[in-house]
Amino acid sequence: MGDPAIRQRFEATVLVHLDAAFNLARWMLRDDAAAEDAVQDASLRALRFFDGVRGPSPKAWFMAVVRNACLDRLKEGRQRVLEDAYDDEVHGLASARVGGTTAETPEAALERGAEAHWLYACIRSLPIENREVVVLRELEELSYKEISAIVDVPIGTVMSRLSRGRDLLRQRLLAERSRQRS
Amino acid sequence: MTCARVRQMLDALVDRELDTATDRELEAHLIACPECARLRAERVALRERMRAGAPYFAAPARIRNAVGNAVAEADGARQRPVKRPTWIKTALVAASAAVASLVAGIWIGRPPLDDARRESAVASHVASLAPQRQLIEVASTDRHAVKPWFSGKVDFSPPVHDLASEGFALAGARLDHVGDRQAAAIVYRVRSHDINLFVWRAAAEGRREETTLSVVRGFGVATWAQDGLRFAAVSDLELQDLKRFAELVREAR
Repeated sequence: MGDPAIRQRFEATVLVHLDAAFNLARWMLRDDAAAEDAVQDASLRALRFFDGVRGPSPKAWFMAVVRNACLDRLKEGRQRVLEDAYDDEVHGLASARVGGTTAETPEAALERGAEAHWLYACIRSLPIENREVVVLRELEELSYKEISAIVDVPIGTVMSRLSRGRDLLRQRLLAERSRQRS
Repeated sequence: MTCARVRQMLDALVDRELDTATDRELEAHLIACPECARLRAERVALRERMRAGAPYFAAPARIRNAVGNAVAEADGARQRPVKRPTWIKTALVAASAAVASLVAGIWIGRPPLDDARRESAVASHVASLAPQRQLIEVASTDRHAVKPWFSGKVDFSPPVHDLASEGFALAGARLDHVGDRQAAAIVYRVRSHDINLFVWRAAAEGRREETTLSVVRGFGVATWAQDGLRFAAVSDLELQDLKRFAELVREAR
């Protein structure tokens, strides 16, 4: 890739999606360091194959590369990821962005923090195949077609995994609420 | 439609992924069926709650730097790739465009002669996204602020529309070029995708051309001509969405 035009195109079409890439990796691997490694690997892989990329959405293509890098990590280091994930229950939100404005009161900030933890715990405990589609749809706002390209399953499967994911999420949010009250 | 069938499609309805006919059919059912309507409301509430409160993990600065460095390094170490014979390249591009059109489920018209224009529009689109460049020189969601900004800067009046209700939010505009022609670039945004709508003066006054869709270097490009102006919309959006955008701009008055 000595060609500056290709390099520039890579930066303009792939590296602009680094936030989306990291968000997906972080939710899949549930660990900051593992997500960083995966995204870095994926970026290099993407660079290597970039010349050949055609298609309607470079973002979907890059996200698919990131997802594969995450799956490789899950396969090779299942035990380690599980241990880290346990730790993640407590420290999980240190690197997250949780919205809000600087003008809010301390009470509102606290409440928002509690809500974020609550949602975080519920989403992170979803099975991975539901978790990834929920994240891609709700946080990245991708279309079913884009998600189907990233996850490499038919649109009907995206729909049923998303639907199941939302059902589970609803149940967990309800269960969590009654646990907190008791 | 039965309740079971409606509930199967409830998520697609909430996500606005259904075609208009099915959408209407479901809405009609929801008016008549309070139980299904309650389930829909629950879904909408869940989604809003997720979007408002779920944590988002943006890439930390150190990974941004690490990736930037790694890319620069790989770039330097890498040899210039061996050029494939052009006919293979052409065949590959044609094949992947055919696949892309199948995936998008729409027919990509055979591009007429102005491939060069399309190529230039994509080049301008890519350049406009580079970090050191300004994608938007006048930022506004108000078309009455954007349109007058062009007066005195270009010798025509580019149409600027408010398409927010259709999901395409006006973000702003800038001056740009398509090839050697000066062009108005109007920026719209849908989800996190930027659309550059380039408008410039057509060489042949008053010629009207239907919309042509194509894929150039991975970007979707929609081109057409009307009212003595040429239009090129470029984005990494899906082609179907880009087609809809082009139709909306064409029809808006």
